[in-house]
Amino acid sequence: MAGVTPAAHSMASAKANPVLVFLMVSSVMAWLVLSSVSVAPNRIVPGSSVGVFGVAGWPGVVLGLLPVIIAGVLALKSSRRQLVVVALLVVLTLAALPLWLALAAHNLVSPELPGARLGIGAGIWVVLFLLLLSVIEVRTRLGLSRWQGGLLLLIPMMSFSAVLIATPWLDSLALRREFVTRSDAFYTAIGEHLLLVSASVGCGLVIGVTLALIMRHWPRLRGPGFALLNFLQTIPSLALFGLLIAPLAWLAANHPWLASLGISGIGWAPALLALIGYSLLPLVRNTFVALDDVDPGVIDAARGMGMTSGQVFRQVRLPLALPVLLEGIRITTVQAIGLAAVAALIGAGGLGRFIFQGLGQAAMDLVLLGALPILIMALLADALLGALGEWLQPGGAA
Amino acid sequence: MSRLRGLTVPLVWLGLLLAACVGMDQLEPVFRWLEPSSRSVIYARADFLSLLGKHVLVVSVAGALSIIIGVGASIAVTRQWGRDFLPLVAQVAAIGQTFPPVAVLALAVPVLGFGTLPVIVALLLYGLLPIVRNTLAGLQGVSADVREAARGMGMRPHQRLWRVEMPLAASVIVAGIRTSVTISIATAAIGATMGASNLGDPIISGIVNGNTAHVLQGALLIALLALCVDSLFAWLQSGRSGL
Repeated sequence: MAGVTPAAHSMASAKANPVLVFLMVSSVMAWLVLSSVSVAPNRIVPGSSVGVFGVAGWPGVVLGLLPVIIAGVLALKSSRRQLVVVALLVVLTLAALPLWLALAAHNLVSPELPGARLGIGAGIWVVLFLLLLSVIEVRTRLGLSRWQGGLLLLIPMMSFSAVLIATPWLDSLALRREFVTRSDAFYTAIGEHLLLVSASVGCGLVIGVTLALIMRHWPRLRGPGFALLNFLQTIPSLALFGLLIAPLAWLAANHPWLASLGISGIGWAPALLALIGYSLLPLVRNTFVALDDVDPGVIDAARGMGMTSGQVFRQVRLPLALPVLLEGIRITTVQAIGLAAVAALIGAGGLGRFIFQGLGQAAMDLVLLGALPILIMALLADALLGALGEWLQPGGAA
Repeated sequence: MSRLRGLTVPLVWLGLLLAACVGMDQLEPVFRWLEPSSRSVIYARADFLSLLGKHVLVVSVAGALSIIIGVGASIAVTRQWGRDFLPLVAQVAAIGQTFPPVAVLALAVPVLGFGTLPVIVALLLYGLLPIVRNTLAGLQGVSADVREAARGMGMRPHQRLWRVEMPLAASVIVAGIRTSVTISIATAAIGATMGASNLGDPIISGIVNGNTAHVLQGALLIALLALCVDSLFAWLQSGRSGL
């Protein structure tokens, strides 16, 4: 709790926190009303929903709700100490969710059916979402930094991994069953996804910075250049992928050396080209702003100190421009992680393959196996690149 | 007059879009040359105008709801009585934009099943984020002096909101709606993989059946639709900033 600011102290008066009260009341209602888990004897039969009382019976349900109810009551008088306790209770509840699933698996999934599977129900998803919102709210009210907020979430994540890896309790979880049957394909898909994203951001960075430098040098190219990049950004992803298929197929058919490189109408080639195209606007715009926004006085001062123009660029312009450029890379990377999922439709592989396979087979847990890692990847990329940008800020957090 | 002249670009795109929908059959020789081996070179499972209509309908229903809910929620959390919720709403709008639209779309299906409904809900939820973010930025960007002056003139709270704050924030809000709708048009097309029939259909079925001509037809129409709507917003924004 080192990051306490005086502002946070004065904010946390003894007044009720209606946001937390609202979130806790909603959590309790969602928990009681919505289906908690679904149980299916095998992969093909749709699961039957089971409510909380079917999982644990009255005493278990009340015991499970206790921390949330206490947190809600504490939020009625939100002094700093109370908020800290609320934070701990919320983290505790999050950490206990995998145990609840394990209990459901133990009580509901028959060990005689080797293919029986446990699906996570709407109630658990909604409560998970509401509790994560509570973590964000508590983090803001306590004035914790991004890192401290992340540490709060580390405990539930560790509890989930521990239950999943170290114990057999969640072996019947449908998501895990989907993973186990295709774990090799899963790791390959993650590799393909990361490769596509990093290749497109890397190429986009080289091309984008070059374009920005060209446009800085010849201002007449600026208007048409940005108009073209804007135009490109407006074309929906599926349409751009589709428009690239025909020309690339033609190229591959007429130039065998291109085909021997692996370029064809479908596959990674159109996906990479489209992703590079989408990455250009944020990268060019941010490079441009980064180099243009430097205070002319700073440049003058550097020249006055006797720096050559090369030195001015390397020692003054670049360090000042880097955080803005990094912001462009962050936007591009997060965008590319999502777009690479769509690229699975044109045979470029990646995690999107599971999403569209799952949709095709109406296997929702397969959809989750694709969508959840994409979501986590996007959040991680955003957090890491955001933190790097803050760290590089001259006079910033460093 | 000059205001109306700005409408030329959207009208040209609209004309091209409608012409392409109606007259795709006329281009058969071109597609035949592209895809000589296929039996059908013009997508025939549904006519393009009705696919366009469904696409526009889904995007506009979701868009209208996101605007009402997003702008409404942003107004609520910037009033005195809703201010407690402001930090959470602002943070969620910022974090939520990190979520890939495809992931949101995919996660809607387990909850709501196949068809048009999950697509509308996903577009609505995802479309909220840019609108909330920009509306908050716009309303918070109104300077305290201006607010004070409006209060000094004896304006009531709702008059201050509708006559001072909203007009000043309008251009930023419209920019948010533009982002939201652009994403929606693109994401709705992907919704064709989950049973929503729209302009994404020819692309998806073309990819599945290896028919490049069908892919091209769908891609062309979606691109024209996106350009038409985007240029319409560009015109709206240029008008706003001149006010």
